[in-house]
Amino acid sequence: MFKFVDCIDAGTEYCPCYLAEKGECIICSQLKGRAFCDCLNWKGTCIFQEYTWNNNKAKKARDFKEYVLKSINFLRDDLIIMEVFVNPYLAKQLNNIGSYVFLKKPQSPHCFAMPVSIMKSNIKNNVITMAIKILGVKTKDILDCKEKVEIKGPYWNGVQGQIFLKNLKNSEILISARGVAASPCVMVANKLKKHNNNVIVILDKGRSNENFAKKEFLDLGCKVYDVNMIDYSNYTLKDEFKKLINELMRKHDFKVTMSGGSDEFHRLYLNYIYSVNKNLNFATVNNALMTCGEGVCGSCHLKLCNGQVIRGCKQQYNPAEVFINIKGDVNI
Amino acid sequence: MMVIVIGGGWAGCAAALQAKKCGAEVLIIEKTDMLLGLGNVGGIIRNNGRWTAAEEMIALGGGDLFEIADRCARHKNVEFPGHKHATLYDVNIIEAEVRKYLYSMGINIMFENRVVDVEMEGRRIKSVYLHDGTEIEGDVFIETTGSTGPIGNCLRYGNGCSMCILRCPSYGPRISISMRAGVEDLQGLRGDESFGAMSGSCKLEKDSLSKELQEQLDKDGVVVIPVPKEDINLDKLKNKVCQQYALKEFAENIVLLDTGHAKLMTSYYPLEKLRKIPGFERARFIDPYSGGKANSIRYLSMAPRDNHMKVVGIDNLFVGGEKSGLFVGHTEAIVTGTLAGYNAVRAGLGLNLVELPTSLAVGDIIKFENESKQTIEGLKQRYTFAGAVYFERMKELNLYITDVDKIRKKVEGLFLKDFFKNKII
Ligand SMILES: Cc1cc2nc3c(=O)[nH]c(=O)nc-3n(C[C@H](O)[C@H](O)[C@H](O)COP(=O)(O)OP(=O)(O)OC[C@H]3O[C@@H](n4cnc5c(N)ncnc54)[C@H](O)[C@@H]3O)c2cc1C
Ligand code: FES
Repeated sequence: MFKFVDCIDAGTEYCPCYLAEKGECIICSQLKGRAFCDCLNWKGTCIFQEYTWNNNKAKKARDFKEYVLKSINFLRDDLIIMEVFVNPYLAKQLNNIGSYVFLKKPQSPHCFAMPVSIMKSNIKNNVITMAIKILGVKTKDILDCKEKVEIKGPYWNGVQGQIFLKNLKNSEILISARGVAASPCVMVANKLKKHNNNVIVILDKGRSNENFAKKEFLDLGCKVYDVNMIDYSNYTLKDEFKKLINELMRKHDFKVTMSGGSDEFHRLYLNYIYSVNKNLNFATVNNALMTCGEGVCGSCHLKLCNGQVIRGCKQQYNPAEVFINIKGDVNI
Repeated sequence: MMVIVIGGGWAGCAAALQAKKCGAEVLIIEKTDMLLGLGNVGGIIRNNGRWTAAEEMIALGGGDLFEIADRCARHKNVEFPGHKHATLYDVNIIEAEVRKYLYSMGINIMFENRVVDVEMEGRRIKSVYLHDGTEIEGDVFIETTGSTGPIGNCLRYGNGCSMCILRCPSYGPRISISMRAGVEDLQGLRGDESFGAMSGSCKLEKDSLSKELQEQLDKDGVVVIPVPKEDINLDKLKNKVCQQYALKEFAENIVLLDTGHAKLMTSYYPLEKLRKIPGFERARFIDPYSGGKANSIRYLSMAPRDNHMKVVGIDNLFVGGEKSGLFVGHTEAIVTGTLAGYNAVRAGLGLNLVELPTSLAVGDIIKFENESKQTIEGLKQRYTFAGAVYFERMKELNLYITDVDKIRKKVEGLFLKDFFKNKII
């Protein structure tokens, strides 16, 4: 089977990383305890060469830095939009599909750091926008931020199946999103629009009767539909949602669909799409639990259908291999 | 029947051509934008025992590529230290000529596509995957990806990427397809038992040399100039791929050959030092681009094979050229590639496979190399009709023949005249 092995950091200025130093590089056999080349996914640079030229050390890792908080807006008592002034470098780096940062209150210990997707990054005024759902210890701690926040970044693995999004030009995509997972989908829609794609968005009405990101999608020129997606009595897709999907699939020639929700939602949604049309490629919001973002701590590890364990914070997978039930029946 | 050839160097071109002549449908997948691989920077054929091998192939009906190389010759019958009756083909024109010929034969070629994985069905390869995930199915596969590089190997075993003709930074690294199919690679050794070997020649832009040197090269095809005493480095010879050129004369002299470029018979030469030599004051490297510092590393990726050129353990994978053993040279790549192409078609039809007779040099070298590399000493050798152990063996066994008529009669005597011209589908 085609080994779809990809490290989102490979070939960037953060590569090689600690993993290479310890002989655990995801891509390079020479940095994985072997003595000969067996490059798993060439991204235009030789990681072993970079490592050697860097005096056999990892490149400098990302670190927390303080930035000025621009605003916190409560959309509901448990949903905020946060805007932060970052530097031009970070704004540019975060203006990409799948961007996320680690965020914490200044002085709070590192265990309070939480991964947050970037919804928008404005490279003119260097303001980044994030949507945060207040859930537990870390998110409550963030609410106490007054003038400053601490941010560690940039990271890029917030969306899985990026290869399908980045290759999409002059085409059509269907995005289905609910709750706070709509936030990274805004960035995706933004980038896909720039490549002249027709972006159709279905949003879950949820508790507020309208997703907070609806206006963002409309501003980008996407066509947006509101439905109730989930029948909570048995956690299945509602008929009205399925009907809308069928209708849209008849009308449009979608090449890719993106799922913005929990892993349970990905599974329900993608399998339904797959039952209607087996030729679509999938992208998903990455729900892996992340703590370090550097492939070290192991909290993001997950098992693919072939039994291989991967690091969700750094590694890309084909969502079809994770969420679709029919093994090996998916084109990538 | 669909035969897929991975890698379009001399071995791949020969394999594709032969499979096509046998009647198969053929696709070459090449990662760069050119055929011939290292053949774009070589040029020496017909020196010493390679003369015999070329004529044997012509008599066997598998001489198409030698005839093109002869047509592209800049010089014939050149002599230089240790070597007789060499032909130097013009590296600047030959690739286009070979490409034209393969197209005229109806061979399909995909350029700028790199094979990165295989799909197996038991002991058979079902299909190969390109770097972008595209799957290509075939009946029989021939791997002729050579053994050069990629960057990590050139770094670990050499002086780093020297930007050679294979241009890994632009087209991505060579990978071992046979290993992806589950067969471990073999590695060649150096004299001191470290792995691999460094390519043994580099090329200077001819126009950057003095008028006198240029004129001499144009006239004779060869120039020999003593190396300044303080620069003689005999140690460098030990690391060299081309043991046929690992002679003292090549350390004590600068040997230049005219292949369209000025081919300098040493792995690399620091530019400042080179420019101290009269006539080289303005010299610059054309291949590898960093020939002042390094050269490519080879022989780290051989697949175990039988004498039919089939990979041991896989039913429908064949190999030729440097992928198939410690062979050095265009001639050697063409010989092994041709047999791989022939047997690939037979395998596709379910026919028994053939070996070339050991009474011919072209058959003997295939068997001899395979036996020799079973030992550590054998892994330190390189095998070429042009010199070192194998040329010695040719002379001992009276396989070294330069009389063309005699070679033709010998092949006819074996009832093998035009053997490679037979259509088998
Ligand atoms: C500088 C130099 C000078 C030389 N001079 C001479 C000489 O004068 N005379 C002589 O007889 N010999 C010479 N040699 C040796 C000779 O060139 C080689 O032994 C011979 O050409 C090897 O041929 P090959 O087809 O096995 O491999 P290669 O020429 O290495 O061809 C392999 C091909 O496969 C392609 N490839 C690799 N991986 C992939 C992949 N995954 N997917 C698709 N394509 C792939 C490569 O791009 C390449 O085109 C020289 C070698 C060098 C380096
Ligand atoms: S978040 Fe720590 S290893 Fe992935």
